[in-house]
Amino acid sequence: MTTGSDKRLLAAWLILSGITVAQLGVGSLDGGDALRPNAAITSAAIAIALVKVRVILREFMEVRHAPALLCRLTDLWVAFAGVSLLGCYFFGMAASAG
Amino acid sequence: MTSVARAPSRSSGDPTRAGARGTAERVQFVPGQPDMWAFVLFEALVFTSYFLVYVVCRTRNPDLFLSSQAHLSLRVGVFNTLVLLASSWSMARCVQAARERSFRAASNHAFLTMLFGFAFLVSKVLEWASEIEQGFGFTADEFFSFYYFLTAIHFLHLLIGFVVLGIAVHQLSSPARRSQEAIETCATYWHTIDFLWVLIFALLYVMR
Repeated sequence: MTTGSDKRLLAAWLILSGITVAQLGVGSLDGGDALRPNAAITSAAIAIALVKVRVILREFMEVRHAPALLCRLTDLWVAFAGVSLLGCYFFGMAASAG
Repeated sequence: MTSVARAPSRSSGDPTRAGARGTAERVQFVPGQPDMWAFVLFEALVFTSYFLVYVVCRTRNPDLFLSSQAHLSLRVGVFNTLVLLASSWSMARCVQAARERSFRAASNHAFLTMLFGFAFLVSKVLEWASEIEQGFGFTADEFFSFYYFLTAIHFLHLLIGFVVLGIAVHQLSSPARRSQEAIETCATYWHTIDFLWVLIFALLYVMR
């Protein structure tokens, strides 16, 4: 039986899988052999990962149906993870360069 | 207000608390037990702290981390991610099927989830064996220490996930035991394994 929910889950899975395969391209932008620090690739990798995490939370874990408190807590964590990971990366790279 | 068909009953003995009253009654709900969500948020914060320590150490010695990262296979990382995403999709369909009282289909999806989880497990063990064979063990350098730590602690969560899936199958196997809340709780744990891996994959395999 195919319901609207099943179609929505299928769409979420296809989007997540498509983004994952696209990450193969992101990870190969610099040739993939002799790796070098690259802020654009790092930012894209972390941002894409957090988008995927939010899709998993909202669609597979059904947070979109949850009370506002749970929605906000999960969004807050996603935002915190993004800001702190990118902040540590850029601050650390600037400190090591200086 | 975002809404979903779901009966408000929290009785663990009600197999279809989401669908028993049809679409007439639409309410917001916490998927599974709230205690599991407290655990999920706690785990998310614990793993975030691991990731932050990793990123800080990485920026102190970027050349070493990048040269070691080059020994990992991005394709294997993508494959592992796709397998875990498929397992999550299957588990979400298990919850949906149980909600629609299609318990046989729900059991099949739970077993399919196990199968995908097992494929990830085998792939990860083979990847570890390959790295160790090339001389990149836990003590090879700082990058590989983080690589084994992060992937092993995730692996441990995956093993616990098989026990959790076993509970879901056990719940689905008998009408006397079926609890939609328990199945949703099991699914919530399994999806947590998935989204933690999504972040581990980005940080170990893709970032520069």
